[in-house]
Amino acid sequence: MGIVKGDQMVLNIGPQHPSTHGVLRLKVVTDGEIVSDIEPIIGYLHRCFEKHCENSTYEQVIPFTDRCDYIASMNNNFGYVVAMEKLMEIKVPDRVEYIRIIMAELNRIASHLLALGVYGLDVGAFTPFLYMFRDRERILDIFELTCGARLLYNYMWVGGVSHDLPVGFVETVYGFLDYFEPKLKEYNEILTYNKIFIERTADVGVLPPEVAISYGVSGPNLRGSGVKWDLRKDEPYSIYERFDFDVPVGEGTVGTTGDCWDRFYVRMLEMTESAKILRQALKDLPQDGDVHQAIPKKIRPPKGSIYQRTESPRGDLAYYIISDGTPQPYRLKMRSPAFTALSVLNEISRGWMLSDVIAILGSLDIVLGEIDR
Amino acid sequence: MTDNLEQLIKEAVEKALEGDMDAVNNIEDRVTRSKAKAALVKAKREAAKEETEANPDENSNDSSDSKQDKTTNEHIAELLIQQFPGDINKELSSQEHIQIQSKKWLVISTFLRDDPSCLFDSLQCITGVDLGEESDLEVRYNLHSMTHRHAVEIRISCPRNKAKVPSVESIWRIGDWFERETYDMYGIEFEGHRDLKRILLPEDWEGWPLRKDYEVQETYHGIVVQKVKEGWE
Amino acid sequence: MIVDRLIDWLPTGVAWPGLTFIVAVILCAVPVFLFIAVYALVAIYGELKISSFIQDKVGPMGQGVGLHAWRWGLLQPVADALKLILKEDIIPSAADKKLFILAPFIVFIGAFIAFSALPFSQTIIIADMNIGIFYILAVSSLGVIGIILAGWSSNNKWSLYGAMRSAAQIVSYEIPAALSIVVVIMLTSTMSMQGIIQYQSGLVWGFLPNWLLFNNPFTFLAFIIFFISGVAECNRTPFDIPEAESELVAGAFTEYSGMRYAFFFLSEYANMFVVSGVAAAAFMGGWQSPIPGMFDTPGWGLFWFMSKSMFLIFMMIWFRWTFPRLRVDQLMDVCWKGFIPISLFNIFGVGIWYLLVG
Repeated sequence: MGIVKGDQMVLNIGPQHPSTHGVLRLKVVTDGEIVSDIEPIIGYLHRCFEKHCENSTYEQVIPFTDRCDYIASMNNNFGYVVAMEKLMEIKVPDRVEYIRIIMAELNRIASHLLALGVYGLDVGAFTPFLYMFRDRERILDIFELTCGARLLYNYMWVGGVSHDLPVGFVETVYGFLDYFEPKLKEYNEILTYNKIFIERTADVGVLPPEVAISYGVSGPNLRGSGVKWDLRKDEPYSIYERFDFDVPVGEGTVGTTGDCWDRFYVRMLEMTESAKILRQALKDLPQDGDVHQAIPKKIRPPKGSIYQRTESPRGDLAYYIISDGTPQPYRLKMRSPAFTALSVLNEISRGWMLSDVIAILGSLDIVLGEIDR
Repeated sequence: MTDNLEQLIKEAVEKALEGDMDAVNNIEDRVTRSKAKAALVKAKREAAKEETEANPDENSNDSSDSKQDKTTNEHIAELLIQQFPGDINKELSSQEHIQIQSKKWLVISTFLRDDPSCLFDSLQCITGVDLGEESDLEVRYNLHSMTHRHAVEIRISCPRNKAKVPSVESIWRIGDWFERETYDMYGIEFEGHRDLKRILLPEDWEGWPLRKDYEVQETYHGIVVQKVKEGWE
Repeated sequence: MIVDRLIDWLPTGVAWPGLTFIVAVILCAVPVFLFIAVYALVAIYGELKISSFIQDKVGPMGQGVGLHAWRWGLLQPVADALKLILKEDIIPSAADKKLFILAPFIVFIGAFIAFSALPFSQTIIIADMNIGIFYILAVSSLGVIGIILAGWSSNNKWSLYGAMRSAAQIVSYEIPAALSIVVVIMLTSTMSMQGIIQYQSGLVWGFLPNWLLFNNPFTFLAFIIFFISGVAECNRTPFDIPEAESELVAGAFTEYSGMRYAFFFLSEYANMFVVSGVAAAAFMGGWQSPIPGMFDTPGWGLFWFMSKSMFLIFMMIWFRWTFPRLRVDQLMDVCWKGFIPISLFNIFGVGIWYLLVG
């Protein structure tokens, strides 16, 4: 923070606040309405995830990973499970791979719907929030159909998944996709191309690509700045190379490349791409195969370490696991994408007004559970 | 499934793969026929996968990646040994990581970021590790290059009592928060960091939680801190 | 002029001559207060239903379970009112107590006394002053003082922010509103509310009622500017930065709870009615019926006035749930760089039109 000059005011956007996406505290030094410095203070949701993992077995870690990024739990599970399978060199059956991809992409759509709806709410548009939540409810119903849980699933296990797909699953998902794809046009009309929304978000909080890479920003935030980098295409894991989809990139359509509107629009386009992947996966889903076939009886990985990156809806989620041959991890570090996204807030909000800080924070799409762990 | 039926299905599938679908369609029992069809789909898909695996330009599979990773680490290690002899610990490095002494880390990291054959412009993760009681602490850096698409892992160890490592936050800006987190959890001081303070725990917390010999404090501002049960599982 | 008639009707020759006047005024004020209270309940219910329909909500549309929903959610506003009345009255210890208590009253007074010049029908108007519309514009700016007091006395940086933004916004948007009314006054040559409405009798363009809305394109533009400035004066979305929920919690009114908050709430709805009433009277013909000659008895007059005002209030509610909100400096840009030049151009245009077309 340093020394506050005479005419500056230190404001506290406190831990309890309607639009900080969790318990986040921002110490803002402003000059009137213009912000000169922001210091995010985190740690209100720290639950000692990494220390817990050192005292639990590898299977018991999976529910913990759910609770880190509670909005995209399937993707958290996915990252951990892919890392463990690489460490133990387990090959899972095809059906399991397809099921995992379907769940991960459905959760990606749900996570983006929440991010975009809440962003509209931050900017003052109350109605798209409720529309997007209504559609997200349908996805959560699909998840409840499969594994019984709406938000925290504990679904992907090392070597397989916990429950096989129920009867009628494929038809339900096809029904959802047919319902959902026309909705994206509706959202574009009421929010994305709304003149007032464009005024609030275009040219605001521009993130240049070099700054983004230096700050470790990834995912839609990085793609909004024009860098075409998607781990599903560039370092494919699981069976992502079998699918045909595009990687949307921000191009500064209504403002500068890398502004809040671009990040918003990239997320909007990614939902279309996920729908594409879902249709392909549903078509190719193998009908037979035992989902519990490759699950080891006791997880005791060989000594060694692994660093595995996967693409979660917020960016580049990575697990660094050190195993010493016992059934409990020796060290498990989760590298969360929202952590790096929040660290760039100071850099891109300088010189903007207080309302813009809220708009920029919303466009970075952070989840405090993932940042604090 | 009896051996007879299994044999029947196998033969039918083989014939169908060669193009003769009658063998499958003529199976009288409906259940067996559907099983044969499923087995045929599976066989076809595996055949297709083998074909795509034979073409290396589309799918660089895990094996070739890790081979590249191994050579990347060793390749970069050799490059570093040429530039900075005496700072790379070759005996402790392996195919997966490079072990470095800590004094010249700032210079080495600048080289890693700027040298045209390295170009590691992205610091992916800083992990602190406690190698065991009575043993050293270690800091592990995962670096990645967006241009060359290769990655290395660097490890620097430091003694428990005097845990000091040069800070790289001026080189990769995300080092700021990652190093604060490692400091918070392990007590490793990063020299040259502009504002090293705790990030996840409150400012006045005592102790370094992720160390293996961590004893939690009794009370915090009058609130009794619950003890983690021994041998909790 | 109800006040005048009451003064004539009440017995004279009482001890103190001013007493009749005071009694007449109180007798007029009570029904207005009751009207505001009932109207606020109806408006809250309307907002609830309209917002639920627009947002595709399930509960308040009557399908929800629970006593407060009853039939068609009719008990919901009652539940809201009860909740506000029964809440604990908290005054922050560091707040300036006298100003804190005074602020809601000033805001309410500003909205309340404007009702005395609203022409509800041919015969129902509390005080038909010959400067009627000028009086309403003057008096509705009193609310700003109340909001600034509320923000200042809360002793809270966030409330101060909200109050400053609100003051800037209301004071700025007064200007285009007043300039649009100048257009009306130019055409009707009178500032009295009943006079303005009487000007709008008959037909224009052959079949349209002679409302100033349809009279000429400049008054149409003036209506739009007046209405949008009115929305801004009521601090409604898209201009609700002063109470922007997601940024400042409740802006200037953060520290207020219970009945004091209810007063602010009430005055916001009262303000909405005043703005809609003035727009209906000045531009849409007030209590004139759309078909001259039919349905124009005083009873029908009340009906026309109320329905036109309610229609404009419905538009305000519709805006709130559709648009995102503008940032403060964008708000100011729209006002000073957009509306004021257009209003000045309007005045010029109406003058030319009057000269050329008559």
